[in-house]
Amino acid sequence: MELTGIHTLNAPAETIWAMLMNPETLAKVTPGISRLELESEGVYKAIAEVKIGPVAGKFEGKAEVANAVAPQSFTLRVVQNSKIGNVNADINMTLKPLSDTQTELSFDGKADMSGLLARTGNRVMSGVASTLTKQFFKNFEDELSAAG
Amino acid sequence: MPKITVTVNGTQRTHDVEGRLLLVHYLRDVLGLTGTHVGCDTSSCGACTIHLDGHAVKSCSMLAAQADGATITTIEGLASGDELHPLQVGFKEEHGLQCGFCTPGMIMCAADLLKRNPNPTEQEIREGLEGNICRCTGYHNIVRAVQHAAVAP
Amino acid sequence: MGNGGLIIMSNKFIGKSVKRVEDKRFITGKGRYTDDINLPGMTHAYILRSPYAHARIKSIDTSAAAAMQGVVTIMTGDEVGHYGVPCGWQVNFKNGDIMKEPPHPLLVKDKVRHVGDAVAMVVAESREIAQDAAEAIVVDYEVLPAITDASKAVEAGAPLVHDDVPNNICFDWEIGNPKAEVDEAMASAAHVTTLEFVNQRVSPNAMEPRSYIGHYDGVYDKYTLYTSTQNPHLIRLLMCAFVLGLPEHKVRVVGPDVGGGFGSKIYHYTEEALVTLAAKKTGRPVKWTETRSEAFLTDAHGRDHVTKAEMGFDGDGKIVGLRIKTFANLGAYLSTFSTAVPTYLHGTLLQGLYTTPKIHLDMTCVFTNTTAVDAYRGAGRPEATYLLERLLDLSALEMGVNPTELRLKNFIPAFDGVTQPGYQTNVALQYDSGNYHGVLHRGLEMLGYEDFRKAQKEAAASGKLLGVGFSTYIEACGIAPSAVVGSLGARAGLYEVGQVRVQPTGKVSVFTGAHSHGQGHETTFAQVVADRLGIPMEDVDIIHGDSDTVAFGMGTYGSRSLAVGGSAIMKSLDKIIEKGAKIAAHKLECSPDDIEFVDGKFTVKGTDKSLGFGDIALTAYVPHVYPANLEPGLDFSSFYDPTNFTYPFGCHIAVVEVDKETGATKVKRFIAVDDVGNVINPMIVDGQIHGGLAQGIGQALLEGVEFDGNGQIINGSYMDYAMPRADDLPMFELDRQVTPCPHNPLGVKGAGEAGCIGSTPAVVNAVIDALWSAGHQVKDIRMPLTSERVWSAMQS
Repeated sequence: MELTGIHTLNAPAETIWAMLMNPETLAKVTPGISRLELESEGVYKAIAEVKIGPVAGKFEGKAEVANAVAPQSFTLRVVQNSKIGNVNADINMTLKPLSDTQTELSFDGKADMSGLLARTGNRVMSGVASTLTKQFFKNFEDELSAAG
Repeated sequence: MPKITVTVNGTQRTHDVEGRLLLVHYLRDVLGLTGTHVGCDTSSCGACTIHLDGHAVKSCSMLAAQADGATITTIEGLASGDELHPLQVGFKEEHGLQCGFCTPGMIMCAADLLKRNPNPTEQEIREGLEGNICRCTGYHNIVRAVQHAAVAP
Repeated sequence: MGNGGLIIMSNKFIGKSVKRVEDKRFITGKGRYTDDINLPGMTHAYILRSPYAHARIKSIDTSAAAAMQGVVTIMTGDEVGHYGVPCGWQVNFKNGDIMKEPPHPLLVKDKVRHVGDAVAMVVAESREIAQDAAEAIVVDYEVLPAITDASKAVEAGAPLVHDDVPNNICFDWEIGNPKAEVDEAMASAAHVTTLEFVNQRVSPNAMEPRSYIGHYDGVYDKYTLYTSTQNPHLIRLLMCAFVLGLPEHKVRVVGPDVGGGFGSKIYHYTEEALVTLAAKKTGRPVKWTETRSEAFLTDAHGRDHVTKAEMGFDGDGKIVGLRIKTFANLGAYLSTFSTAVPTYLHGTLLQGLYTTPKIHLDMTCVFTNTTAVDAYRGAGRPEATYLLERLLDLSALEMGVNPTELRLKNFIPAFDGVTQPGYQTNVALQYDSGNYHGVLHRGLEMLGYEDFRKAQKEAAASGKLLGVGFSTYIEACGIAPSAVVGSLGARAGLYEVGQVRVQPTGKVSVFTGAHSHGQGHETTFAQVVADRLGIPMEDVDIIHGDSDTVAFGMGTYGSRSLAVGGSAIMKSLDKIIEKGAKIAAHKLECSPDDIEFVDGKFTVKGTDKSLGFGDIALTAYVPHVYPANLEPGLDFSSFYDPTNFTYPFGCHIAVVEVDKETGATKVKRFIAVDDVGNVINPMIVDGQIHGGLAQGIGQALLEGVEFDGNGQIINGSYMDYAMPRADDLPMFELDRQVTPCPHNPLGVKGAGEAGCIGSTPAVVNAVIDALWSAGHQVKDIRMPLTSERVWSAMQS
């Protein structure tokens, strides 16, 4: 499944970078993630609960931040396991300053799924992904205005 | 565990049921009414169709607990004694079944269709049965079975 | 005996659309399928399956699951991995080497090879507990790259499904004329049509999910397996002799009502052996019923060929050669018949209805990280028909000739197989009897070819695309002469068994090894018996599906039940009548030669002295006035081994309308003229054709198992896998021609698969015809022909 998203946020790139690198905010803005625990440098234990339409499940696994070039880009590697199937995702996150107060945050990646998640087909899953993407950016905005 | 009371094929039944128990499994496993079948796990095939308060319902799409107080008819309760329902006659006369697995759901769905529309066109029959899959007949004789029942006195 | 057998029978029931005997229980909800059976003390099994298409198992930890309340036992590959299910047909490499036959263990312990490969089985007090416990089993996988496409799996560097099978090739194989002769014929051709295509993988989707119950009775040391199978005796034989090593006489296999098979319930599945083992281990009955999601992962799939085919024509439009290269996907493991399907059930049909002088098929059968592929309604023959009939219609378009005239020019001339010999093909088989021009002419009458072409032009003017597609097919059914298939690698005989037991009161119990799961044996067989014995149908009971009551049997597949199973019953009926005549002659004080049996009476020829069938039956069991040296009783069992396959054929014509804007395709008309030999019950035969047509049209327009790059089935549910629903199909227009089978007593050929074999190419041809009529000269659109694919083809 392809994962892409792009959104302009009203904050400088450094602020957004800092939020993304903070497990607490990252857990808050990422839909479904209920907890991120630092395991080692850049590697988190991640617990997620997703419930959208027919897709509902509790995921456990790892999230890893790799290839970090502050404050421009990093790769988020996610390995999540659940009763309804496993997810392996590699997502490239890019921050592009538009002005001093605006940054374009985009991501581009691919998620491989197995089990029931895979069998329910892209038809359902791509809808789920797009909902999650919208939530992610909305949460980010909420978090920014709360901080601001 | 919730306690439910339902009237099934004219008999009142009361049971404690597990919250997650689907109505179809209540009918099959608790009441032993195995004429209602399970053909899929996505509410797509219609093999489990029954009548709930007079309407055709896929009994895999609701919990037994949700049926509390309802009146249910299954394929076993469709005939009046020895007298077959016109659809049961139609399916036999027109060879509307082969392996028989989808047949109870198909008949229950068609019965609801004919109640709402006693004289359906071929197209209306085909659309009305769209939620029920038959893998044996190619639907040709199922359509004729419903037509047979529709003109029955 | 020829088909003259019919002549001496009364025709009170034969040839009539007698309503089905079995319907009563199904329309009242009283059918008894395996999952409807509950035994005292029964436990429930759930199987933990691999979520990956290819992965090494590093460890399995069942401790948490085993500790859960209600769990009875857990089995893993460590316990039962040394048992495996066999393949029933050995095919050799071109060079004579034996095919690669890696084991298919009941539970896997080293590495999983397809999504759904079984890793552990939990037996518990309820299905829910078993499932909860299975989810508590921790399996540590090392995920490996997976391969799903047969033509790519043979390339260097492709992941190896089995570490010891180089290039994933199970075997390569060829049939037909020497390759050099075919190359020469093709080089000489005035026109060569080339078609590269995929005959996509489909899922059989019998409506009843597979279900098994294992039972062990310690008192009698006896096992019983209830199974949703098409052939209980074969399952018993395979499970006892080749899997578990159980004594066959201590195992009973029952196939109760079975909700459709279409091939997918022929095979001996691992779960049948697992519930049997678990029942012995736990001392309690064990039931396993698959979910539909599991069915998509584990029920054997069908088709999945990648093909390049070339057909050469001379300047007059006569076919001069046919050259084919195909990669057949067998999946991760060999299923019971999987090696026979792309070879002896496919390559041998490439003569089609045509006089093609030179044919060569080069076949490579390949392992991939996918669900096993085996026979699905038609089994190899639909793939052969698809290849030939697509080439015929496409050649007609390319050469600018009428596709029906092209066929008529190339058809084998009619032959009855009695006064004229059978037709020897270039691909091993000898056709029994045929009149191929007849079915096409009748089909064209029903269509109105010229009228259609006029309508097509008129429709085009008003912005609608109409197309017509033809398919004139042949199949080899009535499977099969044992000696022939044995010489080709079959590891079983393919005869059938029929026992007729006349009870003292003249009522008749018939035991057949053919199993009925929708085909209506209980009716058709009773029609034959009642007419042969001149008794009412109510006096005949057809018993099938229980290895303890039926002597033996090879089951139902390959459109064989009536041609082979019916013939076995006919043999026993002959023995009954012969013995009855001896008893009657003794009582009527004449020679048995003077007795004739007509309309249920044994009569002294030329007199009115006679005895009824019931009198003779009673005398046989109360033998007070009785011939010396004749045993009492009236009960005979016969094995019938056919002398040849049967060869039904027909003409299928599809008319489609394609929406120019969206590519959406609707089948407007479907005409099928089939010749399945003599017909016992026209209503049932028509029903078989209808169902086959629906599946064949389904493959053309809707169906197809799709994998992602990691070997995950991405449409493994009824939400995502499209099958024909009622409003996807038209009313079918059927007719038939009768060319009796010359080599079995009923003159029947078999009707179960015909609809599915002929219809798929007719539909695709019709869509291609529609597109060519609008100037889109496309050769192929990959099945299923979804609106998106048809639309894309129109943009090129």
